[in-house]
Amino acid sequence: MIAIGESIHIISRQVRAAIDNRDKVFLQDLALRQVEGGAHWLDLNIGPQRKAGAEAMAWLVNITQEVTAVPLVLDTTNVEAIEAGLKACNKPALINSTDSTPERLNALTPLAAKYNANIIALTLGSSGLPSTVDSRLALVLEQILPAATQYNVPFDHIFLDPLVLTINGNQEQAMQAIEAIRYFKQACEPPPMTICGLSNISNGAPEEIRPLINRVFLTMMLGAGLDAAILNCLDDELMKTLRIIDSDDKSTPESRLYLGLYNSYVIGEQFDISTVDMDNAELRDIARTIQILQNQLLYAHGYLNT
Amino acid sequence: MSVLEIPVEKWTGKIQEVRLGGNGRKSIVVGGESTLPFLHFEGSIPNRPAIAIEIQDTEPTDWSPWLLSTWGDAVKSPVTWAKKAVEYGADIIALRLRSAHPEQGNTGAKEAEKVVSEILSAVDLPLIVLGPDVAEKDNEVLLAVSEVARGQRIGLGNCIDKNYRTIAASCLANGHVVIAKTPNDINLAKQLNILLHELGLPLHNILDDTTTGSLGYGLEYSYSVIERLRLACLTGDEMTSAPIICTVGEESWRQKESKVIEGIPPSWGEHEERAITWEALTATSLLTAGASIVVLRHPKTVELIKKISTR
Repeated sequence: MIAIGESIHIISRQVRAAIDNRDKVFLQDLALRQVEGGAHWLDLNIGPQRKAGAEAMAWLVNITQEVTAVPLVLDTTNVEAIEAGLKACNKPALINSTDSTPERLNALTPLAAKYNANIIALTLGSSGLPSTVDSRLALVLEQILPAATQYNVPFDHIFLDPLVLTINGNQEQAMQAIEAIRYFKQACEPPPMTICGLSNISNGAPEEIRPLINRVFLTMMLGAGLDAAILNCLDDELMKTLRIIDSDDKSTPESRLYLGLYNSYVIGEQFDISTVDMDNAELRDIARTIQILQNQLLYAHGYLNT
Repeated sequence: MSVLEIPVEKWTGKIQEVRLGGNGRKSIVVGGESTLPFLHFEGSIPNRPAIAIEIQDTEPTDWSPWLLSTWGDAVKSPVTWAKKAVEYGADIIALRLRSAHPEQGNTGAKEAEKVVSEILSAVDLPLIVLGPDVAEKDNEVLLAVSEVARGQRIGLGNCIDKNYRTIAASCLANGHVVIAKTPNDINLAKQLNILLHELGLPLHNILDDTTTGSLGYGLEYSYSVIERLRLACLTGDEMTSAPIICTVGEESWRQKESKVIEGIPPSWGEHEERAITWEALTATSLLTAGASIVVLRHPKTVELIKKISTR
């Protein structure tokens, strides 16, 4: 799986200040730390930047490329800034992102074609957040893939994003996103790529349990066929979970549980927690989180404390 | 000819049985069911839903004329009002300490103690006492009430995420039942139960008020929250097992369909009948969703709901 570092994001005050002040040292350090943590690509989020977006993005691309050779993900709603970033990139980039509306698809898909770039397409149409696998798939088949064909972007340059909603308040949506990944992979030939913004699953949950929710959800998504995720590459435990699955590491009870979970999602089955040793606190917490994500146990901030 | 087989679901969970009253006073138990509402063929439903009649500690200034004319002078004295509520068939008296509201009298602990003592001596039904719904004032008056009603196992509300520690501790010390209120959100409802339980409050000392929306004003949200909590509990989640109480009268009588008596299209029908129907339909719907206690205002609604709940 392609791990995309999420940390250069305008939502962080420090990052915002560094971009505003053109603080190259801070951002280059953050880029390198993510690559050392295991990032294969790096997301560069400059926010909407209505005025000086193009200049900011080109600058950010250039200073990142000074210190690392990993591909870059250009993350802004400002189309001009995307194009400035594409021009500055010295290898094919990933555009983040278009939604499924004709307006955005017609603005961004031609850029992907022109610069031989990849593009993230959110299954988000004009009628709001998608609620089912079917409604997501309909957007792929009726809007995204026709646009790719029209503008000559190869299907495997399209990164379909089912849009991950928060577990707190949209609990039934976690399984819908997972199943959407499975269906996306069968939507066309060659198969499209699939991607998600991982951390959103735990947005709004207490900070101390967010990493656990992220790890368990990532494992399930990987089993369903996820090709890439924008995630926190500075989270050692998360990156360790990725390595466990990549290397089929069966060395600890915890790693065997993650592998078991991954394998059930590979064959398209929900994971049965009845075999988990609930006396082991770590395993029990993972099992509870699986139940939460599978919508078998009602989410509450304190779900681990019951 | 084949015979239709009624599908029967096998549930693993059970709603908590919560007792109010006792100790010399009449008592009532709600909850305890191991199936969805009214599905007697599927599981055990040991207790019927209970009806509480709402009274206030001060003469209401914003009540519909249909309610005021029915209760007459009783609304001027909480004790007379409580006695009349007993006559009208209440299972529980629900006393709202309206006068403790900072803008409606701002009375304090002393006044609350007095009115609760008087009602406890005047009637022998189980009692629920609700504060003015302002967290700091609720704390002040409910703590006093909790002391004065020690051992009478009354219901005390509302306990919200802001003040749950104080109220829960007092209920634990004095043997009362906490009414845990959350704003129409299933996740928050469960979370407050978890927090209360972590403080050491047994689950059979908790009632959940998940916020009532009346017919036309959010009923479907309330319905859905209650239904999903019941399903979560029946599938084994103990932290969603508290019986649910709905303040039906308060919500339905505040709507214009119940309140407004002028400039109404003739097609809306007779005013009083419409208002009572509004309250009765709200109550019936929420009982169908899984509520265990409905707090009502009009005696006629009490009569209608009693017919349904005792069938």
